Amino acid sequence: MLNKHSWPKWAAPVLLSAAMLSACGVTPSAKSDASPSTSSASAGAQAEMDWSKLGDGSQKGKKITVLMVDTDGRVAQMAKKFTEETGIEVNFMGVDYNSLFGKITTASLSSSSDIDIIEMDTIWGGQFYEGKIAADLTNVMPKETLANYTQSSVDSVIYNGHVLAIPYYSSSKHLYWNKKLLADAGYNAPPKTWDEFREMSKKLTKNGVYGSAWSWKQAESLNIDFDTIVAAFGGELLDDQGKLHVNSSEAVQALTYMTDLLHTDKTVDPSSLQWTEDDVKNAFSAGKIAMMINWEGMYPDLNNAEMSQVVGQTDVGLIPGQGAVKSTAVSGSEGIGIMQSSKNKQAALEFVKWIGEKGFQLDNFKEMGIYPSLKSLYEDPDMIAADTTETLGKIVEQFQYGSNRPNAPGYVEWADIQSNEIYNALVKNKTPQQALDDAAAKIDQAIQRAAK
Amino acid sequence: MAEPNAAPKRKRAKFTPAMRHDALLAYVLLVPTIYILFRIFIVPIFQSSVWSLYKYNLMDGSDPKPVGLGNYADIFKLQDFWTSMGNTVYFTVFSVAAELAIGFFAALLLNHAFKGRLLFRGMIMIPWAMLTLVSGLLWNWIYQPGYGALTVVLHNLHLLPDSSNPLWLSSSTKVVTFSAIADIWKMTPFMTLLLLAGLQHIPHSLYEAAVIDGAGFWKKLRHITVPQLLPTAIVAVILRIIGAYRVYDILTVFTGDAKTSTSYLTYNYAFRYFYLGKASAMAWVSTLLILILVIVYMVLLKRNQDSHL
Repeated sequence: MLNKHSWPKWAAPVLLSAAMLSACGVTPSAKSDASPSTSSASAGAQAEMDWSKLGDGSQKGKKITVLMVDTDGRVAQMAKKFTEETGIEVNFMGVDYNSLFGKITTASLSSSSDIDIIEMDTIWGGQFYEGKIAADLTNVMPKETLANYTQSSVDSVIYNGHVLAIPYYSSSKHLYWNKKLLADAGYNAPPKTWDEFREMSKKLTKNGVYGSAWSWKQAESLNIDFDTIVAAFGGELLDDQGKLHVNSSEAVQALTYMTDLLHTDKTVDPSSLQWTEDDVKNAFSAGKIAMMINWEGMYPDLNNAEMSQVVGQTDVGLIPGQGAVKSTAVSGSEGIGIMQSSKNKQAALEFVKWIGEKGFQLDNFKEMGIYPSLKSLYEDPDMIAADTTETLGKIVEQFQYGSNRPNAPGYVEWADIQSNEIYNALVKNKTPQQALDDAAAKIDQAIQRAAK
Repeated sequence: MAEPNAAPKRKRAKFTPAMRHDALLAYVLLVPTIYILFRIFIVPIFQSSVWSLYKYNLMDGSDPKPVGLGNYADIFKLQDFWTSMGNTVYFTVFSVAAELAIGFFAALLLNHAFKGRLLFRGMIMIPWAMLTLVSGLLWNWIYQPGYGALTVVLHNLHLLPDSSNPLWLSSSTKVVTFSAIADIWKMTPFMTLLLLAGLQHIPHSLYEAAVIDGAGFWKKLRHITVPQLLPTAIVAVILRIIGAYRVYDILTVFTGDAKTSTSYLTYNYAFRYFYLGKASAMAWVSTLLILILVIVYMVLLKRNQDSHL
């Protein structure tokens, strides 16, 4: 039994823990207390970074850490040129795309200053600005700089008027088709409208061949294809406040079109519901799919006999439009920015500038098949000489029809809701109207929940 | 009588300077470990309980503010949370029950002496040693429609008509069922290993006595193996329930649908949307539920065990 005057054995550790916990500060701190306000943060960033002093050699010998998508070390290899040119050492951390967001946010959450340079996808702008992850470059980069880059890549680095990165590359989806399969069905040109696409698909679907295959697994790739068709049908996915507006009549029409292809016409490979872009590319390479919508970078693999059975049989061009709309596409461009917590901002700025210059942009096209953000390169003789697949013009034409997804901080959640409800319609759990009405209601609820 | 007892008591109370020095040294050496454990276990647990009482949205520019139990109220109203909870319970019950059944018979088999037993014991560990994500990718291939192994095998066995090409992962329930199958494949070895260790501790004399009394295989199993193995099985099942309840990584390979498990939904709330307050509340609800589950389960099995003794 316990003596009245003695302490229970657990008292000391509990008291000690309580004392230590109270000393640790476990309540969330207000951002306005923890870091300077937005305007002064931007002024602070400006003071640490000076665009006019770039290339003055003052950063020589410094070391920066770069976090970018690079699964096979080819980008890291290209970055060695930066060290040769500037004398700034680079600690390159190459990751796959799906790990990128987590790595950046974890570094930011732990207030680590280990990473200086980050890759930013077009839809993350809001989170990176409001979450104080990326340094605001609005007043650092001269105003005229951005005019040198393609519209889609510029849009991808701006949130609410704030420039958060240098445009890294230009990207959207495109229509790819198998010329041989089309010719067998009596067509010598790809579809210009979604009506034509539907009719052609019906004729193309035979003998184990499907008219089309899609990346309609429940993921962002599904949203992108849906958004593309909605835009072609004349729908606006964004309202005036930058919020997703998912249940317009055009959106319902687009989703009905998708479910019709899948269930009424049966011209879509049903596996599409379990596929991402890479799976679609593989199926297309096997020669059993007549048409697909996919990103750049399909070549040179499609013409590589070791990886493809459709060597020389395919072509790329504009995604169909509908009525007055000639074509539409969703942008997937990205930027390269600087962490707000970086302690080497001026050296990092050297890297940012270097990424946007011809040398790297051209190397990146030659090495990786990635299309430049730098406008002038599209008419540059070096670039044209490097375009061995002769697809440059066709790819660039699509960029003119690119539109952006929202990059508000809430988009990631809205997008998850949207893809979930679209998928519900595709697997016939709900009608298109019902699914999109539910998506709209859930997005509203999500916005209200987030505000509470 | 009192003298010999009193002596050691007096001795214990008296520390020599050398002993005091040793004790001090021991504490000093313990400090780093205690500090690290404190920072990585106790602080985060406590911190998340505090966060769960705040509106704490990291990425929308708003300042944190206390909301009392508001986050909990929101979660209880959130349909997705209950759907995910239902899916998690289904996954846990299905996978742990199957792992226990298969693991038990595999352990029985491996407990017998036969040629190549060592090889089989080693081989059965391979799925367990594999990274969950890797096994997820492997199963994702197996479940591919058309050319996936499952479809091809079923076609070749004529269990599936050639014209049929099912989408194995086309709904939340299907995703959960098929990821449970993948989990059973991966985690049964773990169950086998624990049960095998338990089996080896059952004295042979018990079986010998039973044989003399005329017991056959099933009687031995029912009256000796199962009751003797129960304590090990309790531990194994509880460990697996906790593991299965946290299922996350394999689902991310199969689908973007976070409603397939509570951990997936909690992860998304924390690290995709950065609603840290709500995510903390979600994590706490899950933790309390699983704690209750484990306590109830232990009490039930304890009662069961006592009645056998």
